[in-house]
Amino acid sequence: MQIENPPHPLEEAGRSSRNIDPCVLVIFGATGDLTGRRLVPAIYNLGREGLLPPNFACVGFARREKTHQQFRDELKTDINTFSRVKPVEESFWKNFQEHIFYHRSEFDDDEGYKALASFLSQLDSKYATRGNRVFYLSVQPKYFPLIVEKLRQHGLIYDVDTTTDRWSRVIIEKPFGHDSDSAAELQKDISKNLDETQTYRIDHYLGKETVQNLLVFRFANSIFESMWNYKHIDHIQITVAEDIGIGTRGHFFEEEGLLRDIVQNHMMQLLSLVAMEPPVSLSAGAIRDEKVKVLQSIRPLSKEDFEHSVVRGQYGTGFINGEKVAGYREEKDVNPRSNIETYLALRFFIDNWRWAGVPFYLRGGKRLPKRSTEIAIIFKDAPGVLFQQQGKKNDPNVLVIRIQPNEGISLKINCKVPGPSSPIQPVKMDFRYGSYFGQTPPEAYERLIWECILGDSTLFARADEVVQSWKIMTPILEHWAAHPPKDFPNYAAGSWGPKQSDEMISKDGRAWRLL
Amino acid sequence: MTIQQIIDPAKIESELIQIWEGLAKENKMRACLFNLIVFNIVSARTDYIRNIVQKVIDKFPCRVLFISFDPEAPVPYLKTAISVVAPAGGEGGIACDYIDIGVSGPDLQRVPFILLPHLIPDLPISLLWTEDPSQEHPLFVPLSKLAQRIIFDSESADSLLSFAKTVLALKSQTNIDIADLNWARTEGWRDLMASTFDSAERCDQLKKINLVKITYNAVETPFFCHLKIQSMYLLAWLSSRLKWTVKKTSKSFSFEFENGIHGAIEKEEWEKLGPGTVISVELATSDGHIYKSARIPTQYHTVDIQISSSLQCELPYQFVLGQTATGQSLVKEIITKGTSHHYLEMLKELNQLDRDRLC
Repeated sequence: MQIENPPHPLEEAGRSSRNIDPCVLVIFGATGDLTGRRLVPAIYNLGREGLLPPNFACVGFARREKTHQQFRDELKTDINTFSRVKPVEESFWKNFQEHIFYHRSEFDDDEGYKALASFLSQLDSKYATRGNRVFYLSVQPKYFPLIVEKLRQHGLIYDVDTTTDRWSRVIIEKPFGHDSDSAAELQKDISKNLDETQTYRIDHYLGKETVQNLLVFRFANSIFESMWNYKHIDHIQITVAEDIGIGTRGHFFEEEGLLRDIVQNHMMQLLSLVAMEPPVSLSAGAIRDEKVKVLQSIRPLSKEDFEHSVVRGQYGTGFINGEKVAGYREEKDVNPRSNIETYLALRFFIDNWRWAGVPFYLRGGKRLPKRSTEIAIIFKDAPGVLFQQQGKKNDPNVLVIRIQPNEGISLKINCKVPGPSSPIQPVKMDFRYGSYFGQTPPEAYERLIWECILGDSTLFARADEVVQSWKIMTPILEHWAAHPPKDFPNYAAGSWGPKQSDEMISKDGRAWRLL
Repeated sequence: MTIQQIIDPAKIESELIQIWEGLAKENKMRACLFNLIVFNIVSARTDYIRNIVQKVIDKFPCRVLFISFDPEAPVPYLKTAISVVAPAGGEGGIACDYIDIGVSGPDLQRVPFILLPHLIPDLPISLLWTEDPSQEHPLFVPLSKLAQRIIFDSESADSLLSFAKTVLALKSQTNIDIADLNWARTEGWRDLMASTFDSAERCDQLKKINLVKITYNAVETPFFCHLKIQSMYLLAWLSSRLKWTVKKTSKSFSFEFENGIHGAIEKEEWEKLGPGTVISVELATSDGHIYKSARIPTQYHTVDIQISSSLQCELPYQFVLGQTATGQSLVKEIITKGTSHHYLEMLKELNQLDRDRLC
């Protein structure tokens, strides 16, 4: 159990964001795609907005040879390309870049770690970072145990039981494991050298404002929570749709597929947040306890369910925004006979009191018509005694929590059309973060890196969450391995997925929302 | 309200946002009640269709996705354009998005893919299919799958019989609501008939009808040339409601039903009245009653109703037909749910009434 530190007598809780421990952030895989696109812009924006500790340094760790200045120049280019705020603010960057360094080493080279330890000590002296470390593992999963072991061997990961004056934390990128067994194995290897309180398994969806707002929306508004159950909700749809294909990630996607890339992590996080019971407090432990309970309550899929509640798909050629795009099998670094899924639709039931009989439909895919991630709560129909029109029911109320883009919340209600007759028309009440608060919400990685430096693990996945999620997903993977698809590719790029997906939900008398 | 901008399909949403950011200074509010997809083949009717879409916007703000297909363009093309359109007058604070998709040649197959990301979720989708549905078209199936309601205009039908068969087949195979502009245009007359025979005594007279004579306006315009359809609809409606059985039809639009009932459709020419609009309906019964309803030439929307028999002549009275200004029938059809049972029965009756392909 995590012991919370007593409050600092000079800090006012909830008001000061500057009272944050000094530290050095070390990024493993510093020349990789994720670092340039996400991590560095996030660190830059945190610094620019004054959210990093004044005593801070950042070290890039990678195998390629380069100087500190070369590394800084590359990062500047990345910020200018990928940051939500650009161009780089020169006056800020001039000083900030002085805190950024590069360290070349192989991941298995003891000398490299020895040199890193020595270099970090120098930085501690120069920037008064007090020995606090965040290690960000933006590398292939096979390197996770090795790096953690080496860090421990070279004294860079501290023993939580004996070290109280400084801390070390490790952020681990997804995927955490490949299936149930490998996730358990990875956890076993990592836990030899890393305490759970030092482990921050990142799922960047949890860093998104709208995902964080889910808890506020549910538990700070009494009108919704009182209806958040089987009595009022007909079903829930969770969609993670991307219009892009796999881009340059052919190798990665051939190994992973959509289930591992999106469903096992992002979608299951969204599912557990939307379905969880109110936590006893807002502590990381309490929230994560409730999320795990949801995952434990998901009804395991039977053999019959694999046929009727799971649909996989792979995109063929089609059109995105009017432009012809290649099918998955024609993408770079993809096997022309690949059976990897780029689309997945699932139906789950959560066997607990709150959700008895309420289906949760999940769908995710690449090369769908638009980029859209949302959770839609479809309420039960109003009793059909009144206001039927030609025997047709009115539309159900739908509450939509848009995760991205156009972050916000909308509620569909029925309304009388003005005039003497009384036709009823669905209308939408729409709240948009951008319109209301007038500022670009911070990127997920900004929030997550900041939370890690603060030592708050609420927005990171705990080991038992990951393991439980794999327990749900692994049987699907095993079934697929035993029954290769015969109809791939089975949906056109730019469409809403294979027709079997529509059939799956229509058998229940429902339909996917047209986004 | 804003000038149409031709843009890349990938930039439709972002450019619309930019336009709206500019309009924020004018306190214009983005409004939308539903999605209206319009499919139209470029012709003399296109301006007319755009005009009736504007009438819809005047009444109900919606996101318009207007597809114009030009099968005769010498060079294939695919163009998308956006604009923001306000209701006529524009004094209200609202306006809505108007997305134009112009296409010719093989790029037609791309249109559903362009359109799909721009439908506003959770709001109803109506498809105004302005072409003849009995003619196969590659866009009809993909677009109709998106819509909860399809609005046809039988004015576009080459054959009314084929139109009726296609619409009935569509209705039996899908759950889509169907509406028809020509059916909506006859609504006022149907209301008039129902109100004329509203008492039990009058209702009894319906069984004795032995003559129906309908006149219509035969003045053509470039976008209206199938002028007898509304009259045929009205006759088929009466026939289906009163369970008449067709015996014989003739090219002169004279119809014989069982039990000695005779029907006729005749033309008149009223310059200022909408083409094909019903001008008068005359009913006679076997016991000598005559029910004559005719528009007043100086007040088009008002019908003068004269009921007489060999024994008495009642004082004439007037009935105001529903608002029949251009586009209003479309407005009404979009908002009303379900498919009219009377309409479907009327289409079935057309299978008999128009079996010789008169229209």
